[in-house]
Amino acid sequence: MSASPRADGQPAGGGRGTPPHHRRRYDVIVVGAGLSGTLVAKRLGDQGWRVLVLEAGTGTLDTWPGHLDAMNTYYAAAAKVPNSPYRPNAAAPSPDVLDLAGLPDGGFRASGYFVQNGALPYGSDYLRANGGTVMHWLGLTPRMHPEDFAVRRTFGYGRDWPLGYADLESHYRAAERQLGVAGDAQEQSEAIGLPFPEGYVYPMHRIPRSYLDDVVAAKIDGVPVQESADSPGTTLRVVTTPHARNSVPDARYDGGRGYRPAGAAGLPNYGERCVGNASCVPICPVQAKYNPLKTQATWDSRVTLVTRAVVSRVLADGNGRAIGVEYQAYDDPAAPVHTTHTAEADIVVLAAHAIENAKLLLVSGLAGHSGQVGRNLMDHPVLLTWGLMKHPVGPFRGPASTSGVESFRTGPARKRRAPFRIEIANWGWGWPAASPGSDVARLLGITGDSGQPRGRGVFGEELRRRLGGGIGRQFSLQFELEQEAEGRNRVTIDPRHRDRLGNPRPVITYDLSDRVKRGMAAAKAVSDRVFGLLEAEDRTVYGPGPFSPGHFRFEGQDFAFNGAGHGAGTHLMGDSRDSSVVDHWQRCWDHPNLYAVGCGSMPSVGTSNPSLTMAALALRSSERIHRDLTELHRPVTVRTGGGDRTAASRVPGPAPSPHSHPQQEVRP
Amino acid sequence: MDGFVDVSVGLTGFDSFDLHATGVAALYLETALDQVGTEAFERFLDELDAAGGDPGRLEGETSRDIARAITHLWYLGVWPQLARSVHTALGREKANVPFTVSPEAYTEGLVWRTFHGHPAGAKAPGFGTWSDPPPGAPPVPRVTAAGRPVGKPEEDREEEFQGDIS
Repeated sequence: MSASPRADGQPAGGGRGTPPHHRRRYDVIVVGAGLSGTLVAKRLGDQGWRVLVLEAGTGTLDTWPGHLDAMNTYYAAAAKVPNSPYRPNAAAPSPDVLDLAGLPDGGFRASGYFVQNGALPYGSDYLRANGGTVMHWLGLTPRMHPEDFAVRRTFGYGRDWPLGYADLESHYRAAERQLGVAGDAQEQSEAIGLPFPEGYVYPMHRIPRSYLDDVVAAKIDGVPVQESADSPGTTLRVVTTPHARNSVPDARYDGGRGYRPAGAAGLPNYGERCVGNASCVPICPVQAKYNPLKTQATWDSRVTLVTRAVVSRVLADGNGRAIGVEYQAYDDPAAPVHTTHTAEADIVVLAAHAIENAKLLLVSGLAGHSGQVGRNLMDHPVLLTWGLMKHPVGPFRGPASTSGVESFRTGPARKRRAPFRIEIANWGWGWPAASPGSDVARLLGITGDSGQPRGRGVFGEELRRRLGGGIGRQFSLQFELEQEAEGRNRVTIDPRHRDRLGNPRPVITYDLSDRVKRGMAAAKAVSDRVFGLLEAEDRTVYGPGPFSPGHFRFEGQDFAFNGAGHGAGTHLMGDSRDSSVVDHWQRCWDHPNLYAVGCGSMPSVGTSNPSLTMAALALRSSERIHRDLTELHRPVTVRTGGGDRTAASRVPGPAPSPHSHPQQEVRP
Repeated sequence: MDGFVDVSVGLTGFDSFDLHATGVAALYLETALDQVGTEAFERFLDELDAAGGDPGRLEGETSRDIARAITHLWYLGVWPQLARSVHTALGREKANVPFTVSPEAYTEGLVWRTFHGHPAGAKAPGFGTWSDPPPGAPPVPRVTAAGRPVGKPEEDREEEFQGDIS
């Protein structure tokens, strides 16, 4: 799809996986073919710019056979963790949640790609492959709340954005179109207070609620709960979550023009509806969940994708202008063999993930004026609680979460503790206790440590009956807490720690602040109240041990947290070059033609799953990059009589507005 | 083969029709023989026979662990780690690590059927099916989305079920 010959007869920049030896100069180089990079390339390619996308990982997932291979890898994986369908790659290693293990008396040990030296583990992974981490995302797309953008001014903690909700609103809508969001805007507005333009509807009707959502709603809707004895009551309400997942198109969308869902990459007429495979994380078998490969299928032929190209350095001249990048091309992901190349462009866009972007800036010695590169690493620390309902609730069906409780995301309580959103988890104890596999093992008497004596075990009809009765009643709640920007949480590099190609591995220093821990204590108190209302049997246990690397004690209580996969903040944006890395266009203050896009730019993350906001930011930056390029090329365009083929070919083609073709194309 | 399935009925609580219908019974027999060796496997069959076919009454730890492993295999498609003592006693010349026997073995796991579910990532039941109460669960009032004709598909679905297939 990406290696089409250029229309003007020049050789293509390079085929898939082939270094672009023929053409070394582009208008834009995008580093990383994940969500942000794919969207930036889409917009700029559509506007006539020649874009080179360099992806460190392999590009097998964008064919149907490659997708089926990932499905089989997932089926056969011992632990069905987010990266389990995707093959390991020694040339472009990815962190994995299995790299962390808790120690018997507390504390943790980290192996794998990250080097970790913090008080607590950074428990999130990402994926270095074409499509990026969004290949294994859950697909939830809530917008951030207006008050999330100004937490310093409003509540006295963390960092403020140089933008507000109003600045981003139209880009949220553009992102909702691009990703194909199913949701109920009226409900989001009433229940959460999100402003939408009058009459706005999402492209698709909301994803149906799970039976579990209805059970919870019937018991808790309208009930006020106190998170501590001296706090005011907060009214509970189950609210449907917006998803980038194919549902029923809303005929009212786009002024009555409606919406056509995008099908699977490599099999476009497939996957136009979610069919309830219940494996969104780590892989949607039918690709009813958005992934960037769907957008790549509509890239203009001016966009060239080169996979297996690990950018090792951003090149800049003495005046601070980025010239291009140096990258390492490899053939075999298992062999430490590569060749080094350079590519040049007028503008370089880093879109490689928060941690990889920071790493590249640090390696290149760029954007260092503020001293903030790599600092302010954030995630959504997740507290899980789990229990058994009185009757079957149909776990392990449908998307992982279809509704949540949004009542604790906002309000003055943020002055003292981190806010949180509550996801009602449809997949039983899958995350907190590795069910249903662990249930089978436990009933059979199989212990985690093969050296320990085993129980007698139950077999036959009793085993079948007890599993059915127990698993069928499982449910859990996931509390996603906001983590604020703190300079001490950071990514650094250390020449002693390198990967197979000699690139530095991220060294991570991570901890949770007391305000996050107070948020967890409040979350647990709310969970206790909710379990009481549900008359559920609470099975939540937090203690040290191999499966609890995120264990800690706070004010006499045990807790254990997990990562959400929402790495952010490592090149945060601000309104001053002295205190932030990028401006509100995600453009490096120190380098006017170098952009760093993605969650790394976020000064605060609120409680919303961040991908939609990241997509909105990428679309917004694309507008600025288009203007930069247009300005750069203005002197060239006035040279009309020279017959200079090169100069003429540098004039971008007709530049349709990014909004003039709202319908996403699906290539045959 | 039929003998293995007969034994598996006692281990799993699923009848032989269900077990044959998974299509993986032969693969599991092969796996068990490969993992523990013919000798230990036949001893397991003999001891199970002596226990009246009830795996709960198996007394030898080796045979008991083989019973656990075969049951685990049926329920999850995964051959588990054996007890370290059993691994040693069998003198196995292979790593004592759990593994999924094949991608199909995972999707044929019996555990999902114990609670009327389907394997995560396969055998998708269809759009919106997760909204329905599972067997044995009471109906609850459903909040409907504004602008969405929720009632109509429900009525349609009821009609579909009015037919009798006998």
